[in-house]
Amino acid sequence: MAEDPKVSGRYRELPREEPPRALDDAILAASRRAVEARPAPLVAPTGRRRWYVPLAAAAVITLAVAVTLHIQHDRPGEEVDAVNPPMELQKTPKAEAPAAPRPFSAEPRADSAASAPAPAAPPAAQAERKRAEGAMAGARDSRAESRIARAAVEQSPESELERIAKLRAAGRHEEADTALAEFRKRYPEYRLTDEMRAKVEKPQ
Amino acid sequence: MEAPDEELMLAYRDGDAGAFETLYARHRGALYRFVLRSLKDRDRALAEELFQEAWIRVIEARERYAPSARFKTWLYTIAHNLLVDHWRRKGLTLVESDEEPVSSDNPASQAEARQGLARFLQALEGLPPVQREAFLLHEEGGMSAAEIAAATGTNEEAAKSRLRYALMKLRNAVSDG
Repeated sequence: MAEDPKVSGRYRELPREEPPRALDDAILAASRRAVEARPAPLVAPTGRRRWYVPLAAAAVITLAVAVTLHIQHDRPGEEVDAVNPPMELQKTPKAEAPAAPRPFSAEPRADSAASAPAPAAPPAAQAERKRAEGAMAGARDSRAESRIARAAVEQSPESELERIAKLRAAGRHEEADTALAEFRKRYPEYRLTDEMRAKVEKPQ
Repeated sequence: MEAPDEELMLAYRDGDAGAFETLYARHRGALYRFVLRSLKDRDRALAEELFQEAWIRVIEARERYAPSARFKTWLYTIAHNLLVDHWRRKGLTLVESDEEPVSSDNPASQAEARQGLARFLQALEGLPPVQREAFLLHEEGGMSAAEIAAATGTNEEAAKSRLRYALMKLRNAVSDG
């Protein structure tokens, strides 16, 4: 590549402007805030902090077992189900393997509750069951929503730009502006082509 | 031995705030001058705003950082994109133009230009923006033509050509001084 020591030398004689100290402080403070806000690392700590890992794990397991037992205790109808399964379940062909037990998950119960008809139970138990089913359906919905949100975030820059372009074309400028600002944060190095820029930016 | 930029950025991504401080100290001056001298009239307030925004974007994008390119190229690409956005907001498309800007008729600046350094500065400011940017990336960022091409979204030949023309014009300013 073309080099010219005289030009470089002259350039180096120009004043070496630097950012003001207050700007340095603001940027460094932002950098610290960003890492302080993130969740704790998943790697095991070392040294003096190592002792709390097994203790925390034991506490989590104890809590999970306690919550599971508490839920089972509060839902007597389900225990009846386990002992006297409804006829439809008893008639299930053997070819259909039962789901593997998942002791700390509410999902198998949700599935069986959804597929099997509820047995005759006292009104209080039925009300409790309905509440539980509603809660589980809500949990499923919220899981689905978070999956969709995650997929939206994890999609490629190009598909995200297409989505913004569609918002813009539909006249949903506020949403498009927000999405474009978010895109620029996520992909600051991404270079927009003139064609795409015309599609995603607000018309002047 | 000093840790490479990419290693520091990965450490910062994983939560080491000190790594960012080292990285920032390493690049703050050069990036600031690159932004400041890329702007017309060397608008300090605007330069500070864009400089800060570039670093904030580095911070915000840390989780996605993967050292597929040099950190420095990534950093200057971000700054370049911010400059392009700024120019476009102003209704200018300076980056793709190789045209000479209109020279200043200001008598005061012409008087200054009689002095060597001021003349050089005036020649630098008078370069077409893409040539000035290539020169600044080379001088401040220490970048090769390939890296300049990567940071500005052009091909290596175009980057070489811009740099060559910039050096030719600045050489004239040096020899006239």
